[in-house]
Amino acid sequence: MSETKMVKLLIDGQEVTVPDGTLVVEAAKQLGTQIPVYCYHPKMDPVGLCRICLVEIEKAPKLQIACSTRVTEGMVVRTMSPKVAEARRGVLEFLLLNHPLDCPICDKGGECDLQDFTMEYGPGASRLTEPKLHKPKRVDLGPTIVLDEERCILCRRCTRFDNEIAQERNLVVVERGHNSLIGTIDGGDYESYFSGNTTEICPVGALTSKAYRFRARPWDLSHADSVCTQCSVGCNYRVDARFGNIMRTFTRENSDVDGGWICDRGRYTFNYLYEPARLREPLVRRDGDLERASFAEAVALTAEKLGAAAAAGRAGVIGGGRLSDEEAFALQLFARKVLGTNNIDHRARLQRYASPARFGARLRDLDDADLILMFGAITPEQAPILDLRIRRAVARNAAHLVFVGPFKPDLAVPFHYVEYATGAIGDLMEALADALKRGAQPQGAFAIDLARNLNEASKIVAVHNGRNPVAASALEQLIETLLAVGKRGGILVVGSQGNARGAEAVGCVPNLGPGYAPLANAGMTTAEMLTAAANGKLDALFIAGANPALTFPDGALARKALESVPFLAVAEQVMTETAAYANVVFAAASQFEKRGHVTNLEGRRQAFAQAVEAPIYVATDAAIVSALASALNKPDVLDDDPDWLFSRLQAVEQAAKPAEPLARPKLDPSVTAHGDNLDAQRKTFTVVPVPKLYAGGGPSLHDPGLAPMRPQARASFHEDDALLLGIAQDRVVTLTGPNGSITVAANVGTSAAVGTVLVTADMPEAPVNRLLDASGRGRVTVTPAPLRKEALA
Amino acid sequence: MATFEPVIMKGIGESDLADIDVYERGGGFSVLRKVMSDMTPDAVAAVVTESNLRGRGGAGFPTGRKWSFLPKDGRPRYLVCNCDEAEPGTFKDRMLLEKTPLQLIEGLVISAYAMGAKQAYIYIRGEFLEGSRIFRRALAAAQSRNYLGDRILGSDFSLDLVVHRGAGAYICGEETAQLESIEGRRGEPRLKPPFPAVAGLYGMPTVVNNVETLCYVKHIIERGAQWFAKIGPEKSPGPKIMSVSGHVRQPGNYEIPLGIPARELIDEYAGGLLPGRKLKAFQPGGASSAALFEEDLDVGIDFDSLAAKRTMLGSGGFVVMDDTACMVNCARTLTRFFEHESCGQCTPCREGGQWVARMVARLEAGEGSQEDLRVLNVINNTITGTNLCPLGDSIMPFLSSVLKRFPDEFAAHVAHGACPIKDVTAVVA
Amino acid sequence: MTPERLARGHELVARYPRPQSALVPFLQYCQEQDGYVTLQAMRDAAELVGITPGEVESIASFYTLLFKAPAGKHIVQVCRTLSCMLRGAEDLQAYIKRRLGIGHLETSADGQYYYEEVECLAACDRAPCLQHNLEYHYDVTPASFDKLLDSWQASAPAPAMPAE
Ligand SMILES: Cc1cc2nc3c(=O)[nH]c(=O)nc-3n(C[C@H](O)[C@H](O)[C@H](O)COP(=O)(O)O)c2cc1C
Ligand code: SF4
Ligand code: FES
Repeated sequence: MSETKMVKLLIDGQEVTVPDGTLVVEAAKQLGTQIPVYCYHPKMDPVGLCRICLVEIEKAPKLQIACSTRVTEGMVVRTMSPKVAEARRGVLEFLLLNHPLDCPICDKGGECDLQDFTMEYGPGASRLTEPKLHKPKRVDLGPTIVLDEERCILCRRCTRFDNEIAQERNLVVVERGHNSLIGTIDGGDYESYFSGNTTEICPVGALTSKAYRFRARPWDLSHADSVCTQCSVGCNYRVDARFGNIMRTFTRENSDVDGGWICDRGRYTFNYLYEPARLREPLVRRDGDLERASFAEAVALTAEKLGAAAAAGRAGVIGGGRLSDEEAFALQLFARKVLGTNNIDHRARLQRYASPARFGARLRDLDDADLILMFGAITPEQAPILDLRIRRAVARNAAHLVFVGPFKPDLAVPFHYVEYATGAIGDLMEALADALKRGAQPQGAFAIDLARNLNEASKIVAVHNGRNPVAASALEQLIETLLAVGKRGGILVVGSQGNARGAEAVGCVPNLGPGYAPLANAGMTTAEMLTAAANGKLDALFIAGANPALTFPDGALARKALESVPFLAVAEQVMTETAAYANVVFAAASQFEKRGHVTNLEGRRQAFAQAVEAPIYVATDAAIVSALASALNKPDVLDDDPDWLFSRLQAVEQAAKPAEPLARPKLDPSVTAHGDNLDAQRKTFTVVPVPKLYAGGGPSLHDPGLAPMRPQARASFHEDDALLLGIAQDRVVTLTGPNGSITVAANVGTSAAVGTVLVTADMPEAPVNRLLDASGRGRVTVTPAPLRKEALA
Repeated sequence: MATFEPVIMKGIGESDLADIDVYERGGGFSVLRKVMSDMTPDAVAAVVTESNLRGRGGAGFPTGRKWSFLPKDGRPRYLVCNCDEAEPGTFKDRMLLEKTPLQLIEGLVISAYAMGAKQAYIYIRGEFLEGSRIFRRALAAAQSRNYLGDRILGSDFSLDLVVHRGAGAYICGEETAQLESIEGRRGEPRLKPPFPAVAGLYGMPTVVNNVETLCYVKHIIERGAQWFAKIGPEKSPGPKIMSVSGHVRQPGNYEIPLGIPARELIDEYAGGLLPGRKLKAFQPGGASSAALFEEDLDVGIDFDSLAAKRTMLGSGGFVVMDDTACMVNCARTLTRFFEHESCGQCTPCREGGQWVARMVARLEAGEGSQEDLRVLNVINNTITGTNLCPLGDSIMPFLSSVLKRFPDEFAAHVAHGACPIKDVTAVVA
Repeated sequence: MTPERLARGHELVARYPRPQSALVPFLQYCQEQDGYVTLQAMRDAAELVGITPGEVESIASFYTLLFKAPAGKHIVQVCRTLSCMLRGAEDLQAYIKRRLGIGHLETSADGQYYYEEVECLAACDRAPCLQHNLEYHYDVTPASFDKLLDSWQASAPAPAMPAE
């Protein structure tokens, strides 16, 4: 990298030195001089349309726009001269001409750039007696956004966001001149996982979110700096509350993590807190029914049963991936120091790792990668903001994107698809590593292609779903080989729970303590605990913030275990499929009701503040386990104070002696792969679970903000298979595996490979885990339901 | 009568110059032959630079200089011929397209050769369907005789020319909007820099030249730079077609030596005013130009003399208004034009332009107010000079000039609640 | 997409270094056949040139010669800009509207005629002028318009908006 040249210039008489090529508007910011802008947004290419930023630049014959003029040595800029003031006044006057001036009922009131700049630079009311031209108001733009065309000032930030940042290009400007409107094809829905960002960047009240409309005025809001835990990216955001109720969330830029954006799942998931499904007090099973109980009663009962089971060496703890780092740390302390067992595991679904043991990449690494390999991770569905980075890298920096997996996902940017059965990816990667190391030709045209891509690239980032252990270690081998030949690269593992990486790091795994310190006696993994419970070999289970009944791959096993275990205690925010089996349910505090840290997929530990108070009988997970510890006569082991926990955690981590290279969490005994190969008769089909952003049980199931976006459970077949089976689009089919069946509507197309059926994952109404075994595989037979008109109604 | 011997209009109306045999018989393509056999590209460009030819599309930028901005970096470069002619009052490019397409092709090939472009586009206004058909036929004929295509006339220069039709948008005449339009997008002007010479069509170095400009190139090469440079004023030389319309006896295209007084164009070329009428105003350079009046009739018609009068030669759309014309009515048709044609990117052009059009329409309908007049008198400051492209700066010049010259006529519309000028359209017999 | 359309689309795409350049020519071609730019044509165009249907709509709606709804078999576009106004365009417009029984941007009930006042057609020397299905008519008077109308009614109309 060459040194950037610095240039000196004068802005309103003040000297400033900035890198050559800096925009005048940014140079002014360094002096604390605000130049008003509407169309300009630092994250997007300058377009210079709104003209509010006009400034005087010496030697230029006309006023120039500060948002796209770049500084030069010796430039003299005036941002407050009478000419500038007149131009600004003019632009504001033009913008207000047909503006409805309905500020009193506008959500943006109080944080509107039109209002603010008008106060500061505006024309006053003088000429604004002009009769207004009317445009459509309250245009329903789709599930999340309402558009008021009259308030719109056509700065195009929203359409440019959809184009440049989201790369989706569905929100556009239609018509021209002063008839221009923001719209979509034929008035269709603006559906995007990122739609909420447009409400933030809209400088006026034209785009408002349905979830927040008319709910609060900005000056009434209290703010808490928080971190989203809906997925493992860990976007920074601000939680705004009014009188103790959360009203909205707002980006809080951390350019290394979120680049200033958040996805809609993160943005809108909080209203479940106010739904009836929210647990507000502990429940205890009496005569078969879960009934309200006091915290003391719940603690006493749980301590008694867990304590007894632990004494017999027959207790287990599952959870941690949805807790804070402090609480996950407390949970493993509870298991190890109170219950005296290493039977603790945060992995409640088919995920072997929350982190690569080595070669961890940073999100930033995607920005200048020239080859991005996606192995099985469907980033738009599992880590949307990470996907935005990939989109930008591909669209703007010409990064090459390759997806290797069992079906072709829907991605926003062009990519190269390599169809590969989940079970076989490891072999492929080994072959590739071999090819790179020794120049051997791998088998198959696509593999040769891939090897060539790898050879040509200088920086490679692999995004993995952490599921397949063989693939994971092969991937590590591959990256190691690449590094050895002088390339740069790393791996990002998209965890399936928001804080999976944190839980792993603080020791919520059976063979590692905090700081990845290896333990002499490994405890049981989740699968082992469930198997033991199902076989009557476990007397008590404590599950905190996990829902294996829905998410554990072998659903039949999970359900049998939960049914069979003599005592089950669950700490949860809402009633879940798992909590339904419990003897005791603790009402747990949400992320918003506590403070602490979480660790994202790149291992970055971030603090989050408390936004609101929890309801009175709701306790944090830390408070629950520390109450249990006290009841079990070990009050000194645990404290529920996050600061206490955090300092202990740090001390323990510092003292920890991790293995070199880092040891991996203990794996489940590998289940025999019943091959992914094609059943020539098409009597059975391989099941491939497909993640969807808005799927899921628990909070997301109960959140009214997400309800309109929830997907329908679907089974997708290749069109050739569909023909053989005699099923058409939308036909209802029953998929039957050895342990259960589900009934869903069919999709017919080409995204599924021949011989496979893609099933929406994590849908409580049709849980795909009824069809899978503990290694996440399954084979099913397919029976079309009798044709009935109402079948789909 | 006029004595100037037409150059690019020569033969128009006498024979069918769109027929390649006719065109060749009149000496057509001989210049191209000469260029291909004994001139280097640089030599061609040097002659054009020396001639001081200024673009005939409106901005009057020296053509040779424009070509010289193309970076010599080996990237492909494009020549785009601008035939989007939509400036109200201008109708010369359509005539050249329909009547002498082969001359345009010859000029275009020579120009592409001079700048080293192997690919050219001609952007033909969507409304010119007939013109585009004539041009395509001419193009096919020229190709069949190897005046275009691979290894033109045995040289190692090849040129492909693609006809691209517009679809209804004045703004696509602006060069960067035109490039956007050819790329298949909304015809919205681009932010500059980068200028087209550096990053134009498909991001490659590009020159956009007007139809008339390219036609002159051929004659400059044929007759020499000095021949051209000696016609008219030194800094604004050469012949130019003026499209004369409105209240004159013989509206039409007239090729004049630049620099002749406006009076001569009206009286000698266009046959003078209609009987019994008095000149009220004239627009020398299309809808975007400020009006001039009786007292200005001696102004020279050339880039610099008109600029000195705070108006412009523009594309040469010369519109004459006599005493039957209502200035408010004229201003209304033109402000409505800009309102309709604004691409809508810039606030002052989009909103200000629409406001001005509404106010002027109100005045014409007799529903205007003193407040409207007051606003119209000052709004120039905030609309003009504040936009991204020159369209926004074209909204006010005509209106401001007639408002200043005929304030009473505007005031009368407010006072009477109607137009005080009768028989606006009496000329139609 | 019909095979003909696809073939034509590929032909247009091949003219340019980038497919999107063929967008408007392709829409013009579809419009010639369908009478306007249908939703299906926009979707086809999006697929052909590799952009979203929304982008196609954005672009199509920018250009006034692309109609987003059925306009008419006869598209009558009368110039309304200065030179024609000075030569009596307003009277002519009033006459034609009366004659056709429709106003600016309207289509007759039988779907035959569409009337529009348009900006300068670059025929100011023969004012007032109009275009009928993009064909020029000059120095139009009420009487000459009547004759034109008779001739349009007599002949089977060619495509209202020819593509090339
Ligand atoms: C709003 C607007 C419309 C224009 N329309 C045309 C046009 O129709 N034809 C044209 O040749 N130039 C037009 N121009 C000028 C072009 O931008 C450009 O300067 C010209 O085509 C360059 O060619 P020349 O150097 O040969 O004149 C227009 C400019 C503006 C700002
Ligand atoms: S000045 Fe008008 S026409 Fe030109 S870019 Fe701006 S809005 Fe478009
Ligand atoms: S902020 Fe500069 S033009 Fe809009």
